[in-house]
Amino acid sequence: MNPSLAVIFLTLFSGAGFGLMAMVALVNDFAIDGGLSPLRTTILVALALLLVTIGMMSSTAHLANPKNAWRAFTRWRTSWLAREGVFAVLFYPVAMAYLGWVFFTNTDRNDGALVLGSAAALIGLVTIFCQGMIYACLRTIRQWHTPLVPANFYALGLALGMTILAASQMVVHGPDLILASTACALLVAAGVMKAIYYFWIGAPSGTTLQTATGFTRGPVRLLDQGHTFGTFLTHEFSNCISPARARNFKIAVYGLGFVAPTAILLAAAHMTLGLGVLLAPVLAFIGIGLERYLFFVEAQHVVNLYHGRMPGSLPHMHPALRGGTVRPAVAGKPRLVPSYEKH
Amino acid sequence: MRLGLVIDLDTCVGCHACATACKQWNTSSITAPLTDYDPYGKEPSGVWFNRIRHYEIGDYPNNKTVNFPMSCMHCENAECVTVCPTGASYKRPEDGIVLVDQDKCMGCNYCSWACPYGARELDRESGTMKKCTLCVDRIYDETLPVEDRQPACVLACPAHARLFGDLDDPESVTSRAVRERGGYGLMPELNYNPTNHYLPPRIRPAIPTSDLPRGSLARKVKEWVNRVIER
Amino acid sequence: MPATQHDQEHGPSEVKYSTCYMCACRCGIKVTIENNKVRFIQGNRNHPINKGVLCAKGSAGIMKQCSPARLRNPLLRKPGTERGAGEFIEISWDQALDMLTERLARIRATDPNKFAFFTGRDQMQALTRLFAEQFGTLNWSAHGGFCSVNMAAAGLYTMGYAFWEFGDPDWDRTKYFMLWGVAEDHNSNPMKIGIEKLKSHGGKFVGINPARTGYQAVADEWVPIRPGTDAILALSMVHVLLSRELFDWEFLIRYTNAPFLVVQSPGEKGDGLIYRDEAGQPLVWDLKKEALVNGLDASCHPALFGEHKTADGRTVKTVMTLLAERYLDRRFAPENAAKICGVPAATIERLALEMAHVAFKETIEIAVEWTDWAGRKHDKFIGRPVSMHAMRGVSAHSNGFQAARAIHFLQILLGTIDCPGGFRAKAPYPRPVPSPGKPARHSAPNTPLDAHPLGFPTAPEDLVIDDEGRPLRIDKAYSWEAPIANHGLMHMVITNAVKGDPYPIDTLLFFMANMAWNSSMNTANIQDMLRAKGADGEYKIPFLVVVDAFHSETVHFADLVLPDTTYLERYDAISLLDRPISEPDAVCDAIRHPLLALDRNVRPWQEVMIEIGARLKLPVFTNEDGTPKYKSYKDFITYYEREPGIGFLAGFRGADGSKSLRGEPNPKQWERYIENQGFFQYHLPKDIRYLRFANKGYLEFAKEAGFLKTAEPIVIELYSEAIQRFRLAGLGLYDGPTPKERVDQERLATYFDPLPDYYEPLEQQRVDKEEYPFFAVNQRPMMMYHSWDSQNAWLRQIIAQNHLYMNRARGESLGFQDEDWVWVESHNGKIRVQLRLIEGCQEDTVWTWNAIGKQSGTWGLKQGGPEATEGFLMNHLISELLPEKPGERRLTNSDPITGQAAWYDLRVKVTRAAPGEEGVWPTFANVAPLPGALPTPDILRYNTRTKAS
Repeated sequence: MNPSLAVIFLTLFSGAGFGLMAMVALVNDFAIDGGLSPLRTTILVALALLLVTIGMMSSTAHLANPKNAWRAFTRWRTSWLAREGVFAVLFYPVAMAYLGWVFFTNTDRNDGALVLGSAAALIGLVTIFCQGMIYACLRTIRQWHTPLVPANFYALGLALGMTILAASQMVVHGPDLILASTACALLVAAGVMKAIYYFWIGAPSGTTLQTATGFTRGPVRLLDQGHTFGTFLTHEFSNCISPARARNFKIAVYGLGFVAPTAILLAAAHMTLGLGVLLAPVLAFIGIGLERYLFFVEAQHVVNLYHGRMPGSLPHMHPALRGGTVRPAVAGKPRLVPSYEKH
Repeated sequence: MRLGLVIDLDTCVGCHACATACKQWNTSSITAPLTDYDPYGKEPSGVWFNRIRHYEIGDYPNNKTVNFPMSCMHCENAECVTVCPTGASYKRPEDGIVLVDQDKCMGCNYCSWACPYGARELDRESGTMKKCTLCVDRIYDETLPVEDRQPACVLACPAHARLFGDLDDPESVTSRAVRERGGYGLMPELNYNPTNHYLPPRIRPAIPTSDLPRGSLARKVKEWVNRVIER
Repeated sequence: MPATQHDQEHGPSEVKYSTCYMCACRCGIKVTIENNKVRFIQGNRNHPINKGVLCAKGSAGIMKQCSPARLRNPLLRKPGTERGAGEFIEISWDQALDMLTERLARIRATDPNKFAFFTGRDQMQALTRLFAEQFGTLNWSAHGGFCSVNMAAAGLYTMGYAFWEFGDPDWDRTKYFMLWGVAEDHNSNPMKIGIEKLKSHGGKFVGINPARTGYQAVADEWVPIRPGTDAILALSMVHVLLSRELFDWEFLIRYTNAPFLVVQSPGEKGDGLIYRDEAGQPLVWDLKKEALVNGLDASCHPALFGEHKTADGRTVKTVMTLLAERYLDRRFAPENAAKICGVPAATIERLALEMAHVAFKETIEIAVEWTDWAGRKHDKFIGRPVSMHAMRGVSAHSNGFQAARAIHFLQILLGTIDCPGGFRAKAPYPRPVPSPGKPARHSAPNTPLDAHPLGFPTAPEDLVIDDEGRPLRIDKAYSWEAPIANHGLMHMVITNAVKGDPYPIDTLLFFMANMAWNSSMNTANIQDMLRAKGADGEYKIPFLVVVDAFHSETVHFADLVLPDTTYLERYDAISLLDRPISEPDAVCDAIRHPLLALDRNVRPWQEVMIEIGARLKLPVFTNEDGTPKYKSYKDFITYYEREPGIGFLAGFRGADGSKSLRGEPNPKQWERYIENQGFFQYHLPKDIRYLRFANKGYLEFAKEAGFLKTAEPIVIELYSEAIQRFRLAGLGLYDGPTPKERVDQERLATYFDPLPDYYEPLEQQRVDKEEYPFFAVNQRPMMMYHSWDSQNAWLRQIIAQNHLYMNRARGESLGFQDEDWVWVESHNGKIRVQLRLIEGCQEDTVWTWNAIGKQSGTWGLKQGGPEATEGFLMNHLISELLPEKPGERRLTNSDPITGQAAWYDLRVKVTRAAPGEEGVWPTFANVAPLPGALPTPDILRYNTRTKAS
């Protein structure tokens, strides 16, 4: 699938935002490590809102016709994408009410804070689930059609959120073993979940060009795809990555996304790193951003079979198709008037 | 009613007539236009509702070339409609045609992800998803002669490899063809239950030759055996 | 909102009927027009050719109509610039025609042959030929010489009609269809309709072709064959049929020259000619009378086999005896043929027997009373439902004439000629064998020719050569090098003119022919020739006029460009005098008329020709007082009569439009055609639809309609006496012209075989097959076949790059991989192209799609488009001349009988390009846009809707 930055940012940033909100509520609700100060809660919830907003804004860049984006909530009965939109939008008033409540009451320990914080967290968690289900409900993309996808989204969102929370706490207050180890545990869990996912997608799929065309008696090979250059389909679906390159990416995902942040957080739990601790969430973002890139680029839409792409194979196709070089639309780009329109 | 197409892979010669007929009708039709990008330049591309791919089955010399047109299958379980967040994509209850309301589509591409058949293409200029309408503006248009109330691809197909009809009606030309020729839908494992079906190439019985005489003309030429036939 | 009713977002529309011209198929079209823009082109359901369907090209007509490559004004090469530099100035039509008329008048008054007029794939050859005839130049032909003249000539010299457009399988009844060397064809839509009919009836379709593309995809059996070996395959099947006595005795005796006696006196004059009585009638041995009698006498009972002595002691044998003796030879046994053609012996035998089974065991009958040529009544037609079609894959070889004859032999032995279920003729065919009419031989100043420039030689006397034996035509058609070049040798014109061999010319006019690109062999050299200058600094071809509607590569080399209209903008007659569109059951012709208003300064070439004709005062186009005889092309078509009552259009004749086929001019004829959806068809009565060569009712009808001069029966010629006369000339055994040069003598003696035989294609005889192990051929994809005159914005999305295709297993055994860049080298040159390994390719063959490659900047394409950087022409590898032989003059790379361009005789070697060597080679300089050209759009949003998304 096309690893569009808009969608990578959407899931990465909003996932982190919802994860952060959930972890703030968790820490405050259960007064883990004594809970957060109202100021810190305010700042972190604001940060969560910012992250969610970055995600949501970038998602609209993905829309070819954003003026109709407001309609995206109407089909919530059937569409996980609509549900995501509904809950994401619902998240804002609740999270902001929580923010306001904590700010104006200057405490995050009263009933109101408890209810509002938990509600915001819950809505965020539901939104992450919806986000995961956007992908997991697609039977057309084997690498996505699995409960591992929402599970991964949870694990990664929460790990990112907790990493931010723990790091922000330790920047100001120095070593905090409880928060740091919670973040580390979540990072390790997310890493394990992701490993399970990577093993799972490596298993062969039953659908081949033979079954897709109905010609199962012999080898089926593409003779011609019926167009010399890219189409919307090749642009959207034909991205892929060589196994070697994917392996390198995965090393980076684990190194940057899981190992380095865990190491930094563990170090910060025992010594004062100052601002250096912020490297943990920054590296985690980069690593999990790469993970998200892989999530798209390793996903193979079943329609690729019809373009002669066997599962796991790299295409022998026109160079223009390999990168899917149909150029993205540029809004408002000046155009020559076609000759026939002049008369 | 479940309107759809049946494609005969035994006679489809792969001429792309259906694709261009579709293109010309629909570039001025209800989701007009079907934009072309860089039409005279280095990488010509554009929006098409129907594309023909060509495959080779088997190894030489026992290989067969199969031409494979694909367009919207107007699935019973149209996941493209299920996943659409805006309500732009819909399946008409009265005839099963899946359409995209251009006034509602926000161009998120999600429906195209849900479609296993590559039936939907985004028009970057309008920012909307476009797809086969089964020429809904032809098939019910009472200003057209009755015989012209068919999808453009079906009208054009020179090999009559495209049949249009109601797959719910067991006596329709489409249902009969599916029944008699072992028609199949693509990727049944996905459970989309596509309305469009494909007829596999016919397998022709061998022509007997054992009933032919075994005489040797070499002998006859020498013997000059002639038959008396009036000119 | 769901549209369940008429789409409201459209302005007023009108529906008009015309004829497609996206290729040579000429389907009826129904065009919906809104605001002078095309809304929709669909097939006309009532039209006899396409019956409502339409191909990919037809539907893409909209994109031809809005092509940025359309020429807009007459252009003159900018004074002071070099030819081929691409610098032009726009001039007015008056300037252009003044200049051209003045030049042509001067030529006509001195030596009309200095004007050479060659036309491409046009469909108005009857008019362009008339113009040339009236001008008085021998140097006219259309493109048939580089297209498929072998197919036409073989049919016309054998049975009076041919594959090509002159016959069709009886699709409604045929049960076995064998297709030779055809990926796509002129008969594009009828073939597709027919194949579907055949298959739905349970018939079998066998495709014989080195590549499994096009129609071969749906063939029930694909027979991969080595290119150029079709003759041996067909004749081996003849061997099988003969050896098992599987032929139609009655058909051969009644309708063919199989029982005619042939003189056998080797080394003497008269050897191999038909033994005739004093009245010139062919003699046969009558089995009842036991005597030699006139073989054309209906009451005789001819012996099919036999050898006799004549009164003067010469041996005579029946044609059938000679045929049996020839083809029963072991040389033609399947196991020996298999070694040449690569088709397994068992397959050859099985295919022959399958056809015999269908012909003789699945015979059909149509109960209709009919009368044969001798007046005998019959109560039925017997049908042998085996049919065939063949085209360029067979004909574009230097052995193609004989190969096509060999295929006809199979059909004739099985008795499948013009019978129910067989291969049927289309009016005005069949014609006598060979066709009447000899080529014009004399040209004189200010005088029309006394005959058509093209005709059908039957003896060396008919050649167009001077007393010294030198060619009189610039293309050397009808010379010893190509004695029955019925369609000319357009592919030799530039080479010969530049060499001044046989003579220099002054003005060369090309109409709709891309001779500077894909229609010429040896493209790069041809471009150089067009630029070539003599010692005097003058161009060797002093003046080149190009008439076209689009900016082709050839336009780039023109001195004067006359811009034509598109098929939706003008009047056209698709005439029976030209390339007919008849169906087996109906005599048909059709028209085009302007559906769209002109939006640029262009004129239909036929209008311009009639104006030039009048300016030059050519008799046909001029009144006695010197004023123009016709106001317009439309007027000309209405009133011109070739003979009383016979004009270009056969329908709605007579003053009131009530007469068909023959009748006085009807002033409202065009209007009647337009009312009748642009075509005319005359349905033949049921009793004259079959066996027309011997069907009295048909022969009399055809005489009345002007198709035939007499109602005499047409005898199918298995044995070609005409061909034998040329052979005798080669052997020095002919009383008449004989060739002086040894090479001509040898070619006539070797290749002019009165019975078809297989010989290795000429070029292949001269190249090292070890060094060049692959046969190389090309074909056109269906969606572009014959769609020559625009680079269509929709169709080029389907294909804008071609590859070299090679058999996968063979390629892998040679170490090639898919997508490798390779050098392909022939005796004539080399090209670098990209390889694809596929299953559907005969092991010894490589092939590609033809004419995808374009010169950068032409056809309205932007600089560096894929057609220029990744598409390629195989033409660079093909020479228009055979490889040189010491002591021999350079010979054309063509069939030695017909002059058919031998495109597919090519052999090549394929080697991997060095690392880093990518992209096609050679490439050509970019061509600048023409003055006044409109910019090419980056985004195209064609539509006629009032509201678009």
